[in-house]
Amino acid sequence: MGTFIQQVFNGLTVGGIYALIALGYTMVYGVMRLINFAHGDLCILGAFIGLTMLTSTAGSGHPGPALLLLAFVVAIVLVAAAGVVLELVAYRPLRKADRLAAVISALGASLLIENGIMLIWGPEVAVFPSGLLPRITWHAAGASISFVQVMIIVASIFLMAALYLFVNHTRFGTAIRAAAIDQDAARLMGINVNRVIAIVFVIGPTLGAVGGLFIGIYYREAYFTMGWTYGLYAFIAAILGGIGNIPGAMLGGVLLGLFNAFAAGYVSSSWQNAITFALLIAILLVRPTGLLGERVAEKV
Amino acid sequence: MSALLELQGAGISFGGLHAVDDLSFAVEKGHIVALIGPNGAGKTTVFNMITGVYRPTKGKVCFQGQEITGWQPHAIARAGIMRTFQTIRLFPAMSVFENVRAGGHLRAQQYWWQGMLSLPAQRREETALAERTHEILCKLDLDRFANEPATSLPYGVQRRVELARTLAAEPKLVILDEPAAGLNDAESSALNRTIFGIRDSGITVLLVEHDMNVVMNVTDHIVVINFGRKIAEGNAAAIRSNPQVIEAYLGRDENEAENVT
Amino acid sequence: MDAKLKPLSQSVSIKGDTLFSRRIGLKGARRIAGGLWVLGLFVPALFDNAWISIAAIFAIYGIVALSEDIILGRAGMFDMGHAGYFGIGAYVTAILNVTFGWPIFATIPFAILVSAGVGALLAAPLIRLRGDYLLVATIGFNAIFVLAMRNNLGGITGGSGGITDIGVPFLFGFQLASQSAMFWLDWVVLGIVLVLMRNLDASEFGRTLRYLKQDELASTTLGVDSRMVKTLAFAIGAGLAGLAGTLFAVQISTVSPSSFVFTESVTLFAIVIVGGQGSIPGVLLGTALMFILPQIFRDFAQYRYLIFGFAMIAVMVLRPQGLWPQRSVRA
Ligand SMILES: Nc1ncnc2c1ncn2[C@@H]1O[C@H](COP(=O)(O)OP(=O)(O)O)[C@@H](O)[C@H]1O
Ligand SMILES: [Mg+2]
Repeated sequence: MGTFIQQVFNGLTVGGIYALIALGYTMVYGVMRLINFAHGDLCILGAFIGLTMLTSTAGSGHPGPALLLLAFVVAIVLVAAAGVVLELVAYRPLRKADRLAAVISALGASLLIENGIMLIWGPEVAVFPSGLLPRITWHAAGASISFVQVMIIVASIFLMAALYLFVNHTRFGTAIRAAAIDQDAARLMGINVNRVIAIVFVIGPTLGAVGGLFIGIYYREAYFTMGWTYGLYAFIAAILGGIGNIPGAMLGGVLLGLFNAFAAGYVSSSWQNAITFALLIAILLVRPTGLLGERVAEKV
Repeated sequence: MSALLELQGAGISFGGLHAVDDLSFAVEKGHIVALIGPNGAGKTTVFNMITGVYRPTKGKVCFQGQEITGWQPHAIARAGIMRTFQTIRLFPAMSVFENVRAGGHLRAQQYWWQGMLSLPAQRREETALAERTHEILCKLDLDRFANEPATSLPYGVQRRVELARTLAAEPKLVILDEPAAGLNDAESSALNRTIFGIRDSGITVLLVEHDMNVVMNVTDHIVVINFGRKIAEGNAAAIRSNPQVIEAYLGRDENEAENVT
Repeated sequence: MDAKLKPLSQSVSIKGDTLFSRRIGLKGARRIAGGLWVLGLFVPALFDNAWISIAAIFAIYGIVALSEDIILGRAGMFDMGHAGYFGIGAYVTAILNVTFGWPIFATIPFAILVSAGVGALLAAPLIRLRGDYLLVATIGFNAIFVLAMRNNLGGITGGSGGITDIGVPFLFGFQLASQSAMFWLDWVVLGIVLVLMRNLDASEFGRTLRYLKQDELASTTLGVDSRMVKTLAFAIGAGLAGLAGTLFAVQISTVSPSSFVFTESVTLFAIVIVGGQGSIPGVLLGTALMFILPQIFRDFAQYRYLIFGFAMIAVMVLRPQGLWPQRSVRA
């Protein structure tokens, strides 16, 4: 029982992070039908920027939580800016071109960011400082949950709720949903699709930067290829929930986090990854539109 | 004698909408049959059911006495049914010649490995296929466009290319979805002559046509549908005097019409 | 309606890009290609060992990239796990040769068949997936393959270190041990593959792949059995990659999981799109850019992927149809 609850806590923590990153994939896919392969790297860029902020402000005498908040803010601003530039330079010129051109551009952007990180911060694993957050751990029923975990879970829920409200109850949210259904029709209705896409490239990287920094804080490390690993997981989460579907990405993230946590309890971690990928293929075969995605019939 | 093509109570619904319902009609061998009805009546959907693009949710489709309901499109093509599309679907990055040659796909006997090894039998077949394609291009007066990119041509020519592509397959039945749409008068009457020619070469024709002059003068048999159901069937004279057809075409307003069905 | 058709026709532009082949004609282009291949035979006479091995690697990856182009460029299926088939071929040769003592040449049919079989088995259920879903599923396959090799599947793949000391091939009693001999072997196989590809393009099967790519629905109503054709295309592409895998195992005399990771699949995918889908010279040009240029600019090795990434974006934005696209309309 104790380990069960423990795995639920661990799964929810990681799942919340996956969900935050998955939202970036799913929103871009929903509006542009593009797998933004660079998204995972943007998230890890957030982790490194946050880390730099933390190490350079450490010992300045200000309270830890304030420094942490500052790190988040700077990471978000810079990563969101990078997201907007990425869309402008690498994706916008290709909107009318063959879809594969955009895929290659996205892969190129991923390589560029990943290796840019390596050149700036080096190829070694960077370690996050400790002592930023209260080292509190609660124990109950044989399981324990740390302050960091609680913070990640609560913040993820808060951010997802905010996004949900934004998308469903604001004019901009409506514009995003309209553009996701049919860009041309949305344009005819007077929606500025370029603006919608730009907004999506602010929101996705914003959540992603938070997710990336959470990864760094939770595992207390960051390395330049991390974007691929976590990006791929988050992407699987997005597919699991139904790519293009916002609640789907949240659900997919949490389910994948729980799945991984439980799989870790039963199989070695090297096979755990293989099982996750097998799960991915199985979902694609059984229900390619994911748990919450809808089937669309091609009209002839 | 049983009909070449027969629909028996065929129907399909898309999430509650009965696009076609309980439709039965037959196409006799050697005939030109028109399927007519107002926009949205379900004509294209009927063609999609016949050619396997959609799977009927009700009823049967029989071709040459054999049930083909739910077959894959390629199997139905193999059985001898070829079609054109209301929204022309030519291969965009290919020339007219290449598009028409594509129609000969089922006539090609070569295996993939014969092609990769370029064996003599395969090369002979390639030459024969090219010659045959050229013949069809000449027959439909397309030879001067042979090397033009297909989708860069005027609408009328594109329709003819699509028709030529179906003929290259030597089908038993061709199904033409609004072949005259977007054609001018001269092109239209040329098309009628072509359709007669196709019929005379022994191929049965089922088509959707909006021009009543054409329908009345060209066809052997007419099936009228509205809201997915058959409202009349017969020869030109019978259709012309059918009150329900007149109603459907002269248009009462939509709500009333819905109450009738 | 016209507008609906536009994006596709745009992606394969019809004028301008074909100028080169127009001017010299298809026959002339082939003669030039044949001449270049013959010149290539003299690489061992003119260059030192380092360059001979670079040329051999080019030949091997050229074959893999061409085989990826069958699936991706010709049939239009987004296969982003191609390094997996390459790896299967390499592992089959390594295992049969090192563990079971088979001569290298005897392993070739098995390398091809096992890769092709896995390709077909994987493709059969997956090909009904729409483009991006197929892409993701093949990424998954590649990842599983690498993890299985790392975890020493069945105790015969050697784990992370892989399998070492792969033997040299014997041909008519001669040992193909020198760098030059191995290069000639690779070069001859590349030549054969090039001829097969050329024939493929001029055959009904090759054309059928293009039909499917350009309009699957129209193709099926013309009688194309899309599942069968796509599965076959996957099997042929995977089989050729498996053949290249054998050559790779011989050339490096070691196979390990890191040679077949997902990044390699991305590179192959990019070679095809950046070079030009369905274009043999384009794909070979792409291979040269990805595998030969980095050898020349070794001093900048750490910037390699940064530059690749930048170049991939730049090429796509400036030339979305690729550097050397296929002649799209032929007489
Ligand atoms: N794939 C589909 N999904 C949902 N509705 C469809 C589909 N195909 C056709 N319909 C509906 O079926 C009806 C008949 O359409 P159609 O056959 O195209 O009419 P027609 O060709 O007679 O103009 C229309 O209401 C159309 O919206
Ligand atoms: Mg119609």
